[in-house]
Amino acid sequence: MSITWNKRFAGLLVFILILSVLSACSGGSKTSSTEGVKQEITLNALSEPPSLDPALATDTTSGWILDHLYEGLYMKNKSGDSVKGLAKDVKVSADKKVYTFKLRDDAEWSDGDPVTAGDFEYAWKHVLDPKTGSSFAFYMYYIKGAEAYNKGKGSAADVGVKALDDKTLQVELAAPTSFIEKLLSFWVYYPVKKEAAEGNKNWAGEAKDYVSNGPYKLTEWKHNRSVAIEKNKNYYGKDDVKMEKVTWKMVNDATTYYQMYKSGELDLIQTLPSDVIAQEKDNKEYKVTPYFGTYMYMFNIGKEPFNNQKVREAFNLAIDRKMITDKITQAGEKPAMGFVPYGAEVNGKDFRKEHEKYFTEDVKKAKQLIKEAMKEEGWSKFPETELTYNTLESHKKTAEAVQEMLKKNLGVDVKLTNQEWKTYLDTTKQKNFQMARMGWIGIYVDPTPILDYYLGDSPNNRTNWVNPKYDQLLAQSKKEQNEGKRMELLHQAEDVLMKDLPFLPVYYYSNNYLTSKKFKGIVYPVNRYPYVRWAEKVSE
Amino acid sequence: MYIVKRLLTMLLTIWVITTLTFVVMHAIPGDPFASDSDVLPEEVLNNMRAKFNLDQPLPVQYVLYLKNLASFDLGPSIESETRDVNTLIAEGLPASALLGFQALVIAIVFGMALGIIASLFHNRTIDYGAMAVAILGISIPSFILAPLLIKFFAVKWGMLPVASWGTWQHTILPSVALAAGPLAIIARFTRSSMLEVLKQNYMKTADAKGLGTAGIIVKHGIRNAVIPVISFMGPLVAHLLTGTFVIEKIFAIPGLGKYFVDSIFNRDYPVILGTTIFFSVVLIVTLFLIDLSYRLIDPRIKLTSRGD
Repeated sequence: MSITWNKRFAGLLVFILILSVLSACSGGSKTSSTEGVKQEITLNALSEPPSLDPALATDTTSGWILDHLYEGLYMKNKSGDSVKGLAKDVKVSADKKVYTFKLRDDAEWSDGDPVTAGDFEYAWKHVLDPKTGSSFAFYMYYIKGAEAYNKGKGSAADVGVKALDDKTLQVELAAPTSFIEKLLSFWVYYPVKKEAAEGNKNWAGEAKDYVSNGPYKLTEWKHNRSVAIEKNKNYYGKDDVKMEKVTWKMVNDATTYYQMYKSGELDLIQTLPSDVIAQEKDNKEYKVTPYFGTYMYMFNIGKEPFNNQKVREAFNLAIDRKMITDKITQAGEKPAMGFVPYGAEVNGKDFRKEHEKYFTEDVKKAKQLIKEAMKEEGWSKFPETELTYNTLESHKKTAEAVQEMLKKNLGVDVKLTNQEWKTYLDTTKQKNFQMARMGWIGIYVDPTPILDYYLGDSPNNRTNWVNPKYDQLLAQSKKEQNEGKRMELLHQAEDVLMKDLPFLPVYYYSNNYLTSKKFKGIVYPVNRYPYVRWAEKVSE
Repeated sequence: MYIVKRLLTMLLTIWVITTLTFVVMHAIPGDPFASDSDVLPEEVLNNMRAKFNLDQPLPVQYVLYLKNLASFDLGPSIESETRDVNTLIAEGLPASALLGFQALVIAIVFGMALGIIASLFHNRTIDYGAMAVAILGISIPSFILAPLLIKFFAVKWGMLPVASWGTWQHTILPSVALAAGPLAIIARFTRSSMLEVLKQNYMKTADAKGLGTAGIIVKHGIRNAVIPVISFMGPLVAHLLTGTFVIEKIFAIPGLGKYFVDSIFNRDYPVILGTTIFFSVVLIVTLFLIDLSYRLIDPRIKLTSRGD
C-alpha cells in the first residue's frame, strides 16, 4: 500500500519537476494550442546532400539544410526579402563601393563562441582560394580582387574583404552592386568558424565536428540515411524558432516517398510524380509554388535552319504551351513567353508581370514566317531538323508533343534524339546540335542570374548567339544603383533577347508539395525548398 | 599447388578487369565536372581536375591508380566532397550485405524446399503448384514486387515500415523482394536435379537396404542434387551481398547498390573503378570458395589445375 503511494508520489514529483523545468526553458511562455505537441518534422532530402560545407555546396538539397544551419550578414524573412541577419548595421561609402558591416554582439556559434568578422573573412577567402575548387566562387566576383584571386592571378591579400576588428567587416566591391543584399543571404557568403575548419579538412563531413551559427545545429548525420538538426540554443533569434527538430530522410524513389507520406513517416514531400499529382490535385494538402526557372529549347543559330530569325520565331509561335503544361507536365507550370520567370521583385514590382508576354501563339503567322524564311534562304525544302534532349521520360513526352505540333501547324518534320545526361552536356557544349532542351534556374531571385545565361561570353550560352547590345545593357544594369532604372535596363535587355529569339521558352517551372495538415507556418520561398524554422506542429 | 595457382589467376583476373574498366570508362564521353550550370572558370576547373589527378595523361593516371590500389586505397570520390571510395564501401556494405544474406537464406531454404517437394510429387498437383509459384517469382520483376509488398504490408495493413533503415523490421520487405527471383530459380534447379537423382541406381540401392524415405532424401538425394544449385550460387552470392540498385532505391537502403549505377552517370571515375574492383573481388573469392566446397560435398570431384 505504502509502496504504491510512494511510487505515485515519486511520479508526481517527477512530473512537477519536468513541468517546472519545461516552463523555465520556455521562459514561462503563454499557453498555446501546441502545448504538448512535440515540435518535430520529418522531410525528404531525396538523396545524400553532396556537401554541407557552405564553400562547396552547389545543389538545392545541400542548400536546403545549410539555410537552416547558418545565417549570413543578411537573411531571408518570411516573405522572402533579404533583411539584416548577423549584420546589425551597415555603412555604405559615397561611391557605393565600400560596405562596412557591424556584426551583432550576441551572434554566437553553436558551440557558444562569438561569431567574429574574422570568421567571415576566413570563409569568403576560403571560397575564393583556387585550391578549394569551389564551383560557386564566381558568385563572389562582385568583391574587388575576388576574380583575380580565384583565377590564380591575384593574392588573398588583395581581396576586398577585411575584418577591421572582431565585430566590424569591411567589404570593398569591384563596382557598385545594387542587389548585394540578396547575394549576402546566399550560402556561399555564410561565415565558417575558422578554428573548426582550419586543420580539419573533413569538418563538414560528420555531425560531431560541425559548427554552425544559424537557427539550428547539426546533431546527427547518418550517411545515405538521414540528417537531423536541432534548435541552436546559442542562436540570438532562438525565440523566433518554433520547430525544435528537423529530420531529413533520404528516399529517392517517388512511389516510396509518397507511400511514406501516406503512412505518416514523412510530413512533407516534394517533386511528386505525375500520377500522384493527378490523384492528389484536389487534396487540400497539395500545394504548387512557382520555381524560379525556365524550361526551354536552345536554337543553334550557327546551323541551318535556325540561322534564320524567322524560323526561330515561327517555331516559337507554333507551339501550344498551355496544352503542354495542362496535359503533359501537369504540375502547375506556367506557359513561358518570356525568359525571366515570375517571382523576381525589382523596385517593388514583379519583373515578369510588368511585361508578361512577348508574343502570342499564332499558327497562321508562323506559317507565313516559314514561307518567307525559305524564300530568303533559297531552300527548296525545309532543312532536316533534329531536336535533342537528355534521356528522361518527361522530356520525351514534351519533345514528342512539340514534334507533333510542329508537324501539324507548320508541316515541318523534326527528328527526335536523346542522350544520357553527361554525354548530352558534352554534345551541347560542343554546339553539336540544332535544337536542344535545357532548363535554367536562378540561384537567387533576380532577373540578372537568368538573363546572364545568354551573355556572349557565358559558358552556358551554347547557341552561338552573341549580341553586343544585350551584353552592354546587362553590364550597365549591374552598375545601376537606381532600382527603377535597373529594372528598365533589364527589360530592355530581355527585349533584345526576345526579338532575336535564340531559344524557345516553353514554361516556367513550379514546385509541388504535399504537406501534412498537422503543420502550419511553413514558408515556401520562390527558388528554395520550404523553410520550417517558423513552422509549428499543431496536432499529433 | 592448386591454391597458389588459383590465387595467382585471381590476381591476374582483377588486374585485367581493372585495366578494361579504366579504358572503357575513359572512353565514354562526358566529364565529371560538367553540369548544366557551366559557370566554372577554366582556372578553377583545372584546380579541381588536379585534385583528382585528372590533369595528368591517362597512362600516368593509370599507373597512379594501380599504385594506390596496391595499398588498398581506392581513391577519393569526385561526387562526394568529403568521403573517399573506401569509406563509401565501408559504410554501404553492412546494409547491403545484411539484406543480401537474409535474402540468400530465404531463397535457399524456401527455394530448395519448394524444389524438393515438387520433385517428390512429380507431375502431380503439388508439383504444378510449386512450379507455378516459381515461374511467378522469376517473371515478376523486383521493381513491381517491391511496391506491391509496400502497398500491402506497410500501407494497407501497417505491419511493417514503408522504407528507410534502422530496425530489423526495415529489413524484412527488401529481403523478401530480393529473395523472390533467386528463390524461384533455386526451386527449379533443385527440382530438375532431384528428379535426375531420384532415378539413379544408388537411390534404389538405398531404398532396397531398407532406409526410410526421409533418410534417403536427405542423405543421398539432396547431397547429390545440390551441386547445380551451388554452381548457380557463386554469382548470386556476389550480387546479393554487394547490393542491388533497384531494391535499395525503392526501400531507401543506405547500401552500395546505387554507386554501381550512379557513379557511371556522374562519371565519378574512382567510384566506378572502386565498385567494379570490389565486386570482382567478392565474385572471384566466392567462386573460389564454391569450387572448394564441391570437393566437400562430392568426394568424386577432384580439384586439379589443368595439365596436372
